[in-house]
Amino acid sequence: MNRFIKSIGVFLVILFSITAVNAETLTSKLKSGSKLRLGFGTAVPWAYAGDNGQALGFVNMIALTVLEEMGITEDQTETKVFEWSGLIPGLNANRSDMVTGGMYILKSRCENMNFSDPIGVFGDAMMVPKGNPKGINNYADVIKTGAKLVTGAGFNTVEAAKKYGVPDSQMMLVEGEVGILAAMKAGRADVAVQTFFGAKEHEAKSNGMFEVTDPKLMPKETLNVVGIGFRKSDVEFKDNFNKALAKVMANPAKMLERAGEYGYDKAQLPPPSMSTEWACSTK
Amino acid sequence: MDAEWKWDFVYQILPKMLLATLNTIMAAGIGYAIAVVVGMLFLVGQRTPYKIINILVREIVEFIRSTPLLIQLFFVYFVGPQFGIVLSAWVSAMITIGLHFGTYLSEVYRGALKGVPISQWEACRALNFSTIYTYKRIIFPQAFPIAIPGMGNYLVGIFKDTPLLSTIGVAELFHAATAVGGYHYRYLEPYTMVGVIFLILSIPAAMGIRKLERSVNKAQGKVKN
Amino acid sequence: MNYFSFLAEHGSTLLLGTVTTVKVLICATILYVIISIIFGLMRVSNNSFIQGVATIYIEFFRGTSLMVQLFWVYYVLPFFGISLEAFTSGVVAIGMNFGAYGAEIVRGGIIAVPKGQWEGAYALNFSPAKRMRRIIIPQIFPIILPPAANLTVELLKATALVALVTVVDLTFEAKQINSITWLSAQCFGTALIIYYIISRFFLVPFLRWLEIIAARKVGKEKI
Repeated sequence: MNRFIKSIGVFLVILFSITAVNAETLTSKLKSGSKLRLGFGTAVPWAYAGDNGQALGFVNMIALTVLEEMGITEDQTETKVFEWSGLIPGLNANRSDMVTGGMYILKSRCENMNFSDPIGVFGDAMMVPKGNPKGINNYADVIKTGAKLVTGAGFNTVEAAKKYGVPDSQMMLVEGEVGILAAMKAGRADVAVQTFFGAKEHEAKSNGMFEVTDPKLMPKETLNVVGIGFRKSDVEFKDNFNKALAKVMANPAKMLERAGEYGYDKAQLPPPSMSTEWACSTK
Repeated sequence: MDAEWKWDFVYQILPKMLLATLNTIMAAGIGYAIAVVVGMLFLVGQRTPYKIINILVREIVEFIRSTPLLIQLFFVYFVGPQFGIVLSAWVSAMITIGLHFGTYLSEVYRGALKGVPISQWEACRALNFSTIYTYKRIIFPQAFPIAIPGMGNYLVGIFKDTPLLSTIGVAELFHAATAVGGYHYRYLEPYTMVGVIFLILSIPAAMGIRKLERSVNKAQGKVKN
Repeated sequence: MNYFSFLAEHGSTLLLGTVTTVKVLICATILYVIISIIFGLMRVSNNSFIQGVATIYIEFFRGTSLMVQLFWVYYVLPFFGISLEAFTSGVVAIGMNFGAYGAEIVRGGIIAVPKGQWEGAYALNFSPAKRMRRIIIPQIFPIILPPAANLTVELLKATALVALVTVVDLTFEAKQINSITWLSAQCFGTALIIYYIISRFFLVPFLRWLEIIAARKVGKEKI
């Protein structure tokens, strides 16, 4: 009996140690055949998974185009769908290798992961019931009308709302884009704030129930750049990615075609003034 | 991988987490209260003189018992609005968890009723007691002690299932941990704290239930190790 | 979109997820059975250290929520050097959690075996291993199988949680379909029905069959 217990114990120890963390960098891991794991949440049209787990959404398209430029084909990648707030912790816990959620480059995020050079510039917008009965167009209006504001846990808008003074009592945090639309449809919240693209997607899906406010009425600082996220330790891979990204951006036709399917267009191309370093220090 | 435990982060988020714990306790309490009542309804529904109702209720109970609480939560939360029934996250959660644990409790009640010796029922019949009197004065006082350990276990169980409510937005402890973890991009401290808080709350509860179980069994004349 | 066209379009996705769910169910069940036996035996050991370790394990895993344990294994454990794949994390968390409950059931079973059996085996000079194998364990089975069957059905329902840590199971697929098509009633309803079918028409009958076999082996007729 004791021997039986001991052998089970040894078996469990071996089982655990086989799958222990290896400190290899991403570049060498890929060389030895591991698949590159794209981590994202379910955010249509940014990044989401298809029925067969394939990568969809414009951020994924841009990432895949750049990866191809680096010589990594799509079948060397695999997708991992996370809850949004788990994207960065998941990356750092070695659950994914690249974050293609479509994360804005923010100072707080830069402290926890490295971003590639920007892949696009985007703004936020609010989504309200058709006709905008409460007349809400930005955070100040939310505070003024005492409306219930819903957004996703871990979204940049949580920080932004806090910065512009929206009290906790008016905030509702749900899980991702899906949670936001569900809350609005059910009338559980008066207004939603998210990326302009996300809002547009919800407006389309809601058959006229909702409309998107003018993003220009949002504070100017909410214009942000998006980058692909990498672990702090994968510096070599990130640099290679940036080199390939620069090449793709120089001739963006193919990228625009692939990403254009999801609504990305020339207007999103990032201006050189908004670099990753700038975003990490000012946002 | 840095496993550095940041104590200042712990102190920073502790107030929010403790506040959220109150929500957890409230959710568990309200859900349990609903479950106790719903369990009674399910029990009665299986003992009516009408076979059709008995069978129907039995099937409903089996269905709810055999399917995951998580999906039931999603169903009530997402499908309700699809048909015009708009409930807040809290109400959806309470109804779902109340129904779900109500089915478990109805089984506990059934077992407790079975545990009352048949001679008691027969004696009541012989003494011509009315049904209400039988239940109120004879059966229930004997069944209740038998049901206590099961009911106690499910109270602890409902408490430990409250994290599932975070998936539909109920702002309890686990939701707070995820929100805070997502805001600061660190899950190490928040999730560990959630675990510790749960331990602190449920171990005394479980010990209390076991004491209760032992005293009930002693009172019933069964000696247990 | 009526229900049949929904099934035609998304049915195969849900079924693929179901396969993963069943895989998690089987692996986690094997793990929890092993852990239950080990810790159940440790719990009745005369050595107070061994008994203490088992008690701590059982109290810890029964005292915390499975969802918290699962997230912890998935997101926090890598920082301590143990990075398990999502599927493995799910199986390990569920197995260890249910193992704690199972250990108590095993303990209950061991205690329920009449003392005379232990004494008889001792008198007949059986080695401890033989005593376990030939006398005690066969008698434990009919006693522990009913509560273990309940526990295993609980485990099937618990597998739904692994969808929250990126395991592509039935619940995950249902969520995905919901987020893209918003046909909540159809996708979640179908998921509920599939879980029900697995439980009612496969799992429970299988466990009942095990109970009958165990009872037969010990000479009891029907349970």
